[in-house]
Amino acid sequence: MTTGKIVEISGPVVDVQFENGQIPKIREALTVSVEGKQRVMEVVEHIGGDTVRCVMLAESEHLVRGMEVTADGKGITVPVGTCTLGRMFNVLGEPIDGGAPIPDTEKRWEIHRKAPSFEDQRPAVEILETGIKVIDLLVPYPKGGKIGLFGGAGVGKTVLIQELIHNVAMEHGGYSIFTGVGERSREGNDLWTEMRESGVADKTALVFGQMNESPGVRMRVALSGLTMAEYFRDEEHKDVLLFIDNIFRFVQAGSEVSTLLGRMPSAVGYQPTLASEMGSLQERITSTRSGSVTSVQAVYVPADDLTDPAPATTFSHLDAMTVLSRKIAEQGIYPAVDPLASSSRILEADIVGEEHYEVARKVQEILQKYNELQDIIAILGMDELSDEDKLTVTRARKIQRFLSQPMHVAEKFTGMPGIYVPLAETVRGFKAIVDGLMDEYPEAAFYNVGTIDDVVKRAAQMKAEESAKEKA
Amino acid sequence: MADRKTDRENQAFLYSAQKPSPARIAQFTAFLNKKYQKEYTLVWVEDHSMPGGFCLKAGSDVYNWTAENRLSQLQESWDTIAAQNSGNVIPLLRDSLKTWTPEAIAEELGTVRTVGDGIATVTGLDSAAYGEILLFDGGVRGMVQELRRDYLGCILFGDDAEIEEGSTVRRTGKTAGVPVGNAFVGRVINALGAPIDGAGPIKADGYLPVENPAPGIIDRQPVNKPMETGLLAIDSMFPIGRGQRELIIGDRQTGKTAIALDTILNQKGKDVICIYVAIGQKASSVAQLVENLRRRGAMDYTIVVCATASDATPMQYIAPYAGTSIGEYFMHQGKDVLIVYDDLSKHAIAYRELSLLLERSPGREAYPGDVFYLHSRLLERSAHLSDACGGGSMTALPIVETQGGDISAYIPTNIISITDGQLFLESDLFFSGQRPAVNVGLSVSRVGGDAQTKAMKKAAGTLRLELAQYREMEVFTQFASDLDEATQAQLTYGQGLMQMLRQKQYHPKSQFEQVVTLVAALGHVMQEVPRAEIGSFIDGMTAHVASEKSFVRQEIARTGDLSAESRSAILAAAKDYLKQWKASRAPQPKAAQ
Repeated sequence: MTTGKIVEISGPVVDVQFENGQIPKIREALTVSVEGKQRVMEVVEHIGGDTVRCVMLAESEHLVRGMEVTADGKGITVPVGTCTLGRMFNVLGEPIDGGAPIPDTEKRWEIHRKAPSFEDQRPAVEILETGIKVIDLLVPYPKGGKIGLFGGAGVGKTVLIQELIHNVAMEHGGYSIFTGVGERSREGNDLWTEMRESGVADKTALVFGQMNESPGVRMRVALSGLTMAEYFRDEEHKDVLLFIDNIFRFVQAGSEVSTLLGRMPSAVGYQPTLASEMGSLQERITSTRSGSVTSVQAVYVPADDLTDPAPATTFSHLDAMTVLSRKIAEQGIYPAVDPLASSSRILEADIVGEEHYEVARKVQEILQKYNELQDIIAILGMDELSDEDKLTVTRARKIQRFLSQPMHVAEKFTGMPGIYVPLAETVRGFKAIVDGLMDEYPEAAFYNVGTIDDVVKRAAQMKAEESAKEKA
Repeated sequence: MADRKTDRENQAFLYSAQKPSPARIAQFTAFLNKKYQKEYTLVWVEDHSMPGGFCLKAGSDVYNWTAENRLSQLQESWDTIAAQNSGNVIPLLRDSLKTWTPEAIAEELGTVRTVGDGIATVTGLDSAAYGEILLFDGGVRGMVQELRRDYLGCILFGDDAEIEEGSTVRRTGKTAGVPVGNAFVGRVINALGAPIDGAGPIKADGYLPVENPAPGIIDRQPVNKPMETGLLAIDSMFPIGRGQRELIIGDRQTGKTAIALDTILNQKGKDVICIYVAIGQKASSVAQLVENLRRRGAMDYTIVVCATASDATPMQYIAPYAGTSIGEYFMHQGKDVLIVYDDLSKHAIAYRELSLLLERSPGREAYPGDVFYLHSRLLERSAHLSDACGGGSMTALPIVETQGGDISAYIPTNIISITDGQLFLESDLFFSGQRPAVNVGLSVSRVGGDAQTKAMKKAAGTLRLELAQYREMEVFTQFASDLDEATQAQLTYGQGLMQMLRQKQYHPKSQFEQVVTLVAALGHVMQEVPRAEIGSFIDGMTAHVASEKSFVRQEIARTGDLSAESRSAILAAAKDYLKQWKASRAPQPKAAQ
């Protein structure tokens, strides 16, 4: 154990000087006692003169130059193993659910770890059913793969991630870890309440570093959650689900401290180390021969700009990308997945099967064609189209509506109970539309329904209502 | 060189009018050596500014034993007594005077090194804490923002021209904070809590730091009680709940402040404390707003925190945090608070100025990297506390100004990603007379649905959907010349609904009035009323329903629910009124002919 003294403070960045060359290593955790409470900081740089530069994992208020800082030679650690299930933690692995503290006898792991080596990698080849039509059909999620949900502010990322927790985590036998990075505390409370009500809490660990916390916390909390998932993968050989909402906040926190650390800014003011920071985090989220981690990461798109360095850097790390679009949300189609901008590495005939592949590609083709025709329609009107194009347009509009689906977690806003659609039903439904079997049914019958059978029922109901009205 | 430096470091200075005796000097030296564990040489400096006293300076510590200082110590001790006790303080003062003995307290002094652009650097003050308030000669205050090895940087809450290089700086031992208390209600204060309405000093019940941590995840509970705005368009389609953060966003002159103001007015008699924080606005507009609130009796439950465009930038920077701290004082007592930040775009601009002056590097739109954290830590403090924490709530209505209707810009999207929904106001709607100019497609309230009363939920039912259909049809038919009757009827109906949503400023509608209007409108009662007369028709109709079917009003007030009988009663009374209204109009055209 060595002690040093604070010499400079600039926002969340603190310089600490040690004596006699006994300097803590990079990524070691240091503690300082302020008004009887311990605050933690992490070493980021050695800046010469026996001085280390650290990032605070708490607020800097009340820190004074000359305060004593202790280093015990360890990095930040979090508890791992079954003791984490059913609990809620902060970045330091301390419970924040008001329950009992984690006993010291439980295992703890440091949050900074090496990514699995090349030979340990396990490629993803199996499809993970989500029960959400648009995802299962067009962006099938790979088991053990990495999935990104991209979207600007308020297009429904969090609702979709919560629906995935509802559909996948509850069906899935293994453990789930939910990591809240820089999002709303209110959502944390909603999730905590909902998980306890639905009974999945005892298979789930939650880790939160929300948007009210200092940048150091938001920069490290993703690692805390990930470490808990890694333990289940490596030591208990489990299949783990890891939800991260929102990985962009990790990058954002890094950029908040970057200039204070004395680094030159890079494009759009981001940290120069953006790509390497993202890489070292993302390479750890992977499936190995000992167990799998299926991760679902929400990615906020600042100013609705997909070319922003943060989302752009995230793209290449993912196996499946679900892009949510404001244009589709405005049309009232939820989940607002953009069927043409989203993509999945496993949408191949070898993996999903010939029929699924064919239907998915056909659906994309029709939507693409409709997109192209829209300009013509805007200028000349529907009547000027050829009969074939007219058919394409009506089918495309039906597909668009059939891609919407009531979600379980949105029931309180929409008043419609959520529906889980099995993959086989999804493929069957869209096949019926592209094959022209549904041409006679009205467009409105396709909106916010589950399977294709529901469309038939809805259409019959609409007809009955109409004839009733006529009689009246 | 090194030797001379040590020499100076080991020198202590004694300032007094008369030369002290050698015995006195020995006494002082012994005291200093014991206190600082260091060999000091004492140097006497003749100084006639302090008759009957002396001043001892060692390092950055100063022991002031002048008559002036002893008197100010007495004053401080009496101030504390007066602040802690209300009522009869004279016996207490008498007691304290008996027991009072002046002390020589070490006080740290610093020296201004540089000053300009609202920022000063200071040497000395080794034990100043990050975020502490410093007091400059002349009374200007500053907040420590940076602690360097041999100097510290602070932002100034006053005019930097009053400070000069070499002038002295004192510590206050307090972090930036505001006085709080019940006496603040009805007052206009600046960002440091000082009254600016000329109505005398305010008695504080406490002092809270401006930066407080937000309530934790388990200290909260879901939003489930309504915060009624009195505006039909909002309460029906974008309901706001207590503890929610709902952004009001739009170009300038689209009625953003008007919505916030109407919401404050509608809290009259509902036991809600309202706080209006004005950031970077014209002082005259704020004065007018306060006058408006006062005239309508809303100042009885409202506090206005004001940092105008001419106030120092740091004042504009801390104003919303100060307002929030005052709100928290009430929230933690279990009360409901409504806070309006008008507006956060100016706040972001103020922070950008400070950041750039502190040489932190710029990012997107030249805002610093932590501009998101600036607002996230502010807005996260608004919450609905769990019952274990008293069950109080703070509802935030931040306002953001857009440029050219672009809600995809940096600051707007940042704040949208923090709040629980947004009301998007459009200038096209505003100028076409659709006021409040809420864009129904782009506005949303993510949590308010749970907070809506059952009566409202039932009455508003399909309104949003019907308006969406109307909008689609409006676009679809805008080039069409001949429309069939059904489409025409549909369009008239939609136009009627839009007309119904128009509401004059300062005319909040009660829940009963809103429910009656919605039930009648969605029941197609107003289909035949010409557009221009819908407003007056609604007023007449609600009055008619209120007098004819008073039980409906009682039922809604009592249960918050709308039964099937009440609904049909409203419809019947509304149709009844329609008949009367038609009859009263019928002879008029004849008379005109």
